Amino acid sequence: MADKVVCITSGKGGVGKSTVTANVATALAMKGYKVVAIDADIGLRNLDLVLGLENRIVYDIVHVVEGVVPPEKALVKDKRTKNLYLLPAAQTKDKSAVKPEDLVKIVEELRDKFDFIFIDSPAGIEEGFKTAVTPADTIIVVANPEMASIRDADRVVGLCEAMQKPEPKLVINRLDPKKVARGDMLDVEDVLQVLSLDLLGVVPEDKNMVSYINRGEPAVLFEDSVAGKELRNIAERLLGKEIPIPKWTYSEGFLEKLKRLFGSE
Amino acid sequence: MGLMDRLRDAFGRPPAKEVAKKRLQLILKYDRAGLPPNAVEAVKEAILKALEEFPFIDTSGVNIHITESENTKGKIEIEVPVRNN
Repeated sequence: MADKVVCITSGKGGVGKSTVTANVATALAMKGYKVVAIDADIGLRNLDLVLGLENRIVYDIVHVVEGVVPPEKALVKDKRTKNLYLLPAAQTKDKSAVKPEDLVKIVEELRDKFDFIFIDSPAGIEEGFKTAVTPADTIIVVANPEMASIRDADRVVGLCEAMQKPEPKLVINRLDPKKVARGDMLDVEDVLQVLSLDLLGVVPEDKNMVSYINRGEPAVLFEDSVAGKELRNIAERLLGKEIPIPKWTYSEGFLEKLKRLFGSE
Repeated sequence: MGLMDRLRDAFGRPPAKEVAKKRLQLILKYDRAGLPPNAVEAVKEAILKALEEFPFIDTSGVNIHITESENTKGKIEIEVPVRNN
């Protein structure tokens, strides 16, 4: 597979990079692919929490860069999904502890042993972002249908172009169909008109997401999770399968409109 | 939101998502061209001042806007109409 190194980035923080990384990586591992997820957010370790692996970390990526252990030795095996591994970020160091060439070297050492290598980028557009993007064959930009996130996503796309990377694919995260129906939130078409990127998936708002993350259990493990289903579809599309993307628009009925106008909601 | 606010949104104002889209389209145009948001207005003002001394130019019809460019970050296009008479 040529596009095995996938970097997930966003510019803005808090839009769901780690959630998308953990879930798509888990979904691919569930299908039997051997997957490693690298947390490149040095100093602000988070990916371990989404996967529920925080208690199993012995070594981290900075130990690998410093030559304390080889990359394989630092990998944390996922506790429930076979074939899934995490290379944790360091919690005490800062972004400068891992340079682009360091991550390129780590990825090269892991490349032949895995079907997919995911890199969870830090927020921002500085050094840490550039390090995370440098080894990637495919870049996924995660954006919420919200002004600041979209503006930052566009900045990231421009920077990827300047780095002569392939054009990122877009994942719209936390789209709320109810707010879209009311005309309060940008819909999928609006976002695509503004950003004009290839759309890889749309993850709807899922009220259970907080508890999945609190429990350290990725949403893709749950058949009934609405977000989990779309995150599994994103994994399928990375494998080249063509699965239509729901538009998540429904028209508010007259009664619903009245209720909203005069009701308490 | 109170009832009056909701009624006003339902019957008077364009939906929030339309406002967001318009604002974003404008913001991104400037971001991509690497220009501050008042750049076009400032350029337009300077150009109009310079054109005032030419009576054959219809300054009221001067049109100026940012477009995308292949070779540079962005391009400011200016249309300067000549008077008919």
